[in-house]
Amino acid sequence: MSVRQNIRDFFHGAAYGAYERELRMQAAELNDMFLLLCYMEVVGLPNPATLYLLDVYPYILEQFHLWHKRMGMDRSPLGNLPCC
Amino acid sequence: MTQISQMGSLLDKKVLFFGGKGGVGKTTCASATALAASHAGKRVLLVSTDPAHSTSDIFEREIGPEPVELLPNLWGLEIDGALESQRYVANVKTQIKGLFGDHILKEANKQIDLAASMPGAEEMALFDRIGGLIRGEDTRFDLIVFDTAPTGHTLRLIRMPELMEAWIRALSRSRQAMLGIEQDDKTDPVMISLTDRLEGLREFRARLLSPRVSAFMLVLVAERLPIEETARAIEQLNEAGVNVGGLVVNRILPATSPDPFLQSRHAQEVVYLDEIDRRFAKHSRVRVPQLPSDVHGVKTLEALSEMLVPLARQP
Repeated sequence: MSVRQNIRDFFHGAAYGAYERELRMQAAELNDMFLLLCYMEVVGLPNPATLYLLDVYPYILEQFHLWHKRMGMDRSPLGNLPCC
Repeated sequence: MTQISQMGSLLDKKVLFFGGKGGVGKTTCASATALAASHAGKRVLLVSTDPAHSTSDIFEREIGPEPVELLPNLWGLEIDGALESQRYVANVKTQIKGLFGDHILKEANKQIDLAASMPGAEEMALFDRIGGLIRGEDTRFDLIVFDTAPTGHTLRLIRMPELMEAWIRALSRSRQAMLGIEQDDKTDPVMISLTDRLEGLREFRARLLSPRVSAFMLVLVAERLPIEETARAIEQLNEAGVNVGGLVVNRILPATSPDPFLQSRHAQEVVYLDEIDRRFAKHSRVRVPQLPSDVHGVKTLEALSEMLVPLARQP
C-alpha cells in the first residue's frame, strides 16, 4: 500500500470515522422500517399489499436474519415467521 | 320508454361493470348486454366476480376460471378468490424457483404460504386478476363485461387500486431511502418488483377512471331500498371518479293488468318510477318490463337484450 493511500485513508477516517456509527445506525433503522412494512401482518397489522410482496420475500430473508441477530436474538423471535 | 341514449357508444367501451343491490337482476342485464355486444360484432368476455356465480345458470352450462366460449363472439369467465390466490402463489413460487438456493427457497416458500393464508389474500388475488383483465392483458377480447357482486363489495374493489398504489409507493420510498445510503436502486430486484407493481396499478387505475374506456351501469328495481342504494352508489362512484354509464330500471310491472293486486303494485311503482326519473335525471335510464317467465337460456336473454339495447345495432 502506498504512502499516498495511507494518507488518504487517514484523512477519510478522521473526517468520517466519528459519523460512521451514526450512519450505520441510520441505515439499520431504514432497513427495519422497510422490514416492518413488509411483515406488518406478522406483528398483527393489516397490510393490503401482502400478495404483491410475495416475490420480494426471498430477497429480504437475509435482511430479516440480520435484524434478529442485531436485536440480540439468535433465532427468529416470531414463531410464525421462521428464519434460522 | 326512456332509452339509454349512449347505449350504442356504451358498447364501444372496453370495460363495462354491472352493479346494484342483490337480486335486482345484475347478472341478467350484464349477460344481455354482453350478448348484444357480441351480436354487434364485438368479441366479448362476460366476467362474474360474485362469489355466488350465476352466469353459468343463465347460460345453462359450466363456466370456470378460464374463459369458455358460450356463443359465437361471447366468452364467459367466473373468477373465484380462493382459486386465484392459489394460482397466484403457485405462480410466484415458480417465478423464484430458479433465482435462489435451496435453503432460501425453503424458508421463502414457508413465508409465502403464510402470507397467502392471511385474511384478505383472496380478495387481493381477485383484485389482481380483475386488474389484469382491465389492463387488457387478454387481447382476445374487445369488451369485458363485469357482472359484479352486490354494490358494497364492488365499490371497495374499485377503490383498491388507489389504496394499493399508495401502499406500494410508501414501500418503494422506504426501500429507496434504505438503498440510497449504500446502493443503486436501478439494479435492486426488490425495487424493480415494486416499480413494476406500481406501473401496473397506475395503468389499472387510469383505465378504470377513463370514461372512454370504462363505464359503471347500475341496475335497480322500482322500490325504496334499491333506489337509496343506487343513490349512494352514484355518490361513491363520483367520489372515486368512475364514470356512471347509466341506470337500468328492471322488472317493471305491466300497467294493463285487470288484477287488483297487480294494479295496486303498479300504482305504487309509478310513484317510485317518478322518483327515479327525478332523482337520477342526470343519468341515462332504460326501463325493462317484468317478463312473463324467468330469464334463463339464450332465447329469453336475446329478447331481453333487444329491450335493453335498442340503439346498439344502429350504425
